[in-house]
Amino acid sequence: MSIWIAVLMITGTIGLYVTGRFIYQRIPHPLTLPLVTSTFLLLSLLLLFDIPYETYMLGGQWIEILLGPAVVALAYPLFNQWHLLKQYFYPLSMGMVTGALVGIFSGYFLARLAGVDETVLFSIVPKSVTTPVAMDVAATLGGNESLAAIFVMIAGLGGVMIAQYTFRLFNIQSFIGRGIGTGTASHAIGTAKALENNEIEGAVSSIAMTVSAVIVAFFAPLIIALFH
Amino acid sequence: MITVADGLRICLQIAGLYGLYLTGVWIQTTFSLLIPGSIIGMLILLGLFATNIVKTAWVAQGVSLLLRHMPLLFLPVMAGAVTLGHVFQGSGAWLFIIVLVSTVLVMVVSGKITDVLIQRRETS
Repeated sequence: MSIWIAVLMITGTIGLYVTGRFIYQRIPHPLTLPLVTSTFLLLSLLLLFDIPYETYMLGGQWIEILLGPAVVALAYPLFNQWHLLKQYFYPLSMGMVTGALVGIFSGYFLARLAGVDETVLFSIVPKSVTTPVAMDVAATLGGNESLAAIFVMIAGLGGVMIAQYTFRLFNIQSFIGRGIGTGTASHAIGTAKALENNEIEGAVSSIAMTVSAVIVAFFAPLIIALFH
Repeated sequence: MITVADGLRICLQIAGLYGLYLTGVWIQTTFSLLIPGSIIGMLILLGLFATNIVKTAWVAQGVSLLLRHMPLLFLPVMAGAVTLGHVFQGSGAWLFIIVLVSTVLVMVVSGKITDVLIQRRETS
């Protein structure tokens, strides 16, 4: 019985994802990204048919299992952009390291100021980095993986929607500076947008998204251990 | 069009990436590190590329499939949100604002620092 539930959940999830891609092709906007629409559809269906999370995960776990290899796969785009990282090593690394630390500290202190409980606090800390890494970091700190994934999505979508105004307001003109800004703050969603703007901006953003994920994975546990 | 041979190759490549992931997790647990095993696996693959032990072409198709459809892989995690309704009641709007403010700070600081350093270098 449970194998049929698993198959149903897997095909259903893929079906929703395909639907999400179709919607995005018709109406391209950050808020119609497949991640947003298919998540919305999935949550609606689970609530509508009263399907418990555990039942869904009988199938869902087989999709989620691919997140680990997907993070490993990030070595590929990073290696392809290695020449850029070498050429601009100092400006890029300074931007990425400072940005990653600002993300950890500002998330942590703002959330503490708001007085949220610890699970939420630790799920906010890694919100600037790509979902699978943020989930792992949140789990290490004692946060909640799904909550972390939601914060990551907000950081991605919010960042993409305000990026152009932010860069204009703070007079960030170079494609490289913009790429570092989007990649460090808004991970893969930012990188996809940066790629649409300009090839260099996209390449730099993809470097920033992977390198800042490594930096946050290294420093978040240390910083929390020191300050919490 | 994807042929059977392509499909097999992609499966093997993803299996290889999964093997590196498991290696990373093994290293993490054996040495009780706080860095996620997935990141360790990623750094191993980067090292293998850099030393030319693994050619990028060997994993190219599997990588592109995984990265292109990453949003699909997030859906099961997002489904976990059905159990989290209570978190967003009340203080939910605050969480939203905190994440946005922090995101802008990251974007401005990292972007501006890189921008200034690049321009200084190009004018000197």
